[in-house]
Amino acid sequence: MVAPPDNDVLWARALHFQHNGSPALTGVSLGVRDGEILAVTGPRGSGKTTLLSCLSGLLPAQSGEIWFNSKPMHTMRPMRRERLRRERFGWIDPVPHLVPELTVWENAALPLMLRGTGRRAARTTAREWLERLDIGDCARKRPRGLPAAARQRVAIARALAAAPTVLFADEPTASLHRADRAHVLRTLTTAARSHGITVVLATTEPETATLADRSVALLDGRCVQTVHLPPAAESEGRAACSLSV
Amino acid sequence: MLALRLARRAHVLVQVRRLLVAAASAGTGFLLLCAFGYALAHPGASPGAALRLAWCAVPLAATVHLAVAVARADPATRPRPGLSAVGLGPGRLMVFSVLTTALSCALGSAAALLLFLHLRGDLPGTPPRNSLADALAAGLPLPLPATVTLLAVVPLAASVAGALSLRPREDARRDAPTGPGAGPAGGPGAEPGAEPGTPGAGTAAGNRRVGKPRAATGRQGALPADTGTHAVPAPSGLPWGIAVVAAGLTTETYAARDPRGARLDLPGDLVAGTAGVLAGWALTALGLALAGPALTHLCGRLLQAARPGVLRLLSGRGLQEEAGRIGRPLGVVCAVASGAYAIARVYAEAHDAPPAFGPLSVLGALVVAGCALATLLTAAVEARGDRADTTAALLRIGAPATLLRSAALLRAGALVLVLAPLTWLVAELAALPLLR
Repeated sequence: MVAPPDNDVLWARALHFQHNGSPALTGVSLGVRDGEILAVTGPRGSGKTTLLSCLSGLLPAQSGEIWFNSKPMHTMRPMRRERLRRERFGWIDPVPHLVPELTVWENAALPLMLRGTGRRAARTTAREWLERLDIGDCARKRPRGLPAAARQRVAIARALAAAPTVLFADEPTASLHRADRAHVLRTLTTAARSHGITVVLATTEPETATLADRSVALLDGRCVQTVHLPPAAESEGRAACSLSV
Repeated sequence: MLALRLARRAHVLVQVRRLLVAAASAGTGFLLLCAFGYALAHPGASPGAALRLAWCAVPLAATVHLAVAVARADPATRPRPGLSAVGLGPGRLMVFSVLTTALSCALGSAAALLLFLHLRGDLPGTPPRNSLADALAAGLPLPLPATVTLLAVVPLAASVAGALSLRPREDARRDAPTGPGAGPAGGPGAEPGAEPGTPGAGTAAGNRRVGKPRAATGRQGALPADTGTHAVPAPSGLPWGIAVVAAGLTTETYAARDPRGARLDLPGDLVAGTAGVLAGWALTALGLALAGPALTHLCGRLLQAARPGVLRLLSGRGLQEEAGRIGRPLGVVCAVASGAYAIARVYAEAHDAPPAFGPLSVLGALVVAGCALATLLTAAVEARGDRADTTAALLRIGAPATLLRSAALLRAGALVLVLAPLTWLVAELAALPLLR
């Protein structure tokens, strides 16, 4: 076993993962430095979500190594990984999976309360984050009554309120319109930078990746630096559409 | 045929639930046939026969209740994106579910018929000795049309009730972030945006939360102050339930004071009560069933009252959210339990011995009690399936599985703690007039 570099908060080597036999990750290696925003780009189906799940300990890597703060995650028991997720990691889904019966502030305070923080302290922190994300006025509402953008902001507040070491954002803006998208991303990156939170951001869009410090491109379950696709053939002498069924 | 294929490939637990429906249907069918046999054997005693037939309404209702609950909880009849795309939407799946229900009930009815014929001695082989002689009409020819009509009652009633309960409704559509039919609980393989909230996905089965119209939810500023805070309105059955229980107890007490009313034999060798007493008793049970959802909601409310931590918060709010789904079968279970307790009290008082009923009464009681319990469990399973998304999201942010399990246990404990004394109280009050 090779110990990972010291300045990497997360470090993965030769990750392999298959979903019921269909390969999702085929030998991905990457390192995430402390406090940086790392964009994982790639088209749909390139293994971004699987990579984030493996890095956050949701899925056990089938082969390969993952180190978090120089501790091996690939050998941890599920219970320890769960605790790690609860205490050190945050997660944002593409669609906000909030608990429908809790109010907005309770949703945002949930990770803190799961860690054992008192109700009053958790509430103060959650409300602060909701204010920062411009949804302080719906703190007492249920998520069902809110528009999608507001719900996504609640999910972001929930992830940030717990002050995680690493925040995994799996296409956090996938279900939003462009105006909301820009706002949500800006809030997320600004908050992460000002609080020193490391962010691993999966995205399909190149313009989202420009907000990140560094980006890693995935294609068909591999890390790629440059994509070598066959060059487009000259159109002369070829029918524009020669599809025959 | 597709319905059969879908039904055949279901999970073992689903098949067990369908078997339960078949068993309940068999029990009810057998009771109906026995009432019919009594009528055949005693052509002169039509009031007694009619009374026996009328008593079959209770197991029939219990069976239909169970069949509807099982149909609603059936994952095969839940709208799925893949099937919706090929035109098997909620409407078509409702037909499937009706077919499956009818099939399991018909199987049960056939079993009941076979058992009845066997006991009568119509089938080859010697019939076992039994104490049902006057309910079997052995030796008399069995009229086919009447038999078929009686046996068709359960499948027809269950199918119609299932169709009514599962019919596609526009207002059942949910625009919530957690669409119940949306993908395998947001699993790792689910790509973002792949959960478009398929029209009506997972809503025809389940979701009785019709609730307030969500017309004004588009703009944040335009929300009425209250809409967001109480998205799921509290069930309003508590005043009704209390009123009906009180009316039932009053009726019973008044009727018991005046014993000259028309007497009705209770099934089993039980003290005969007047029609008024029985009506009061039925009203009491109905009141308990009506109050079920509101009581469940109240339990949840009490659980999460006074600065709750995460455990009480999750369990209490979950109970409040599921009050509509869990509460009704729970109320029915309470009603059945209170009825059983009251009957046992009355019997013990009258005969000075532990209750010993005839085989048909025992069968009826078993069908009713079993159906009530099975319906409650099925509703719980349905609620769990509907909340799978939320559970998965909670697990993703690192909620320990033990926390979720303790929340479920806490919920069950709170329900027992509140409902058991209440049921006992109502049963004691209901038995009181008959004990004098």
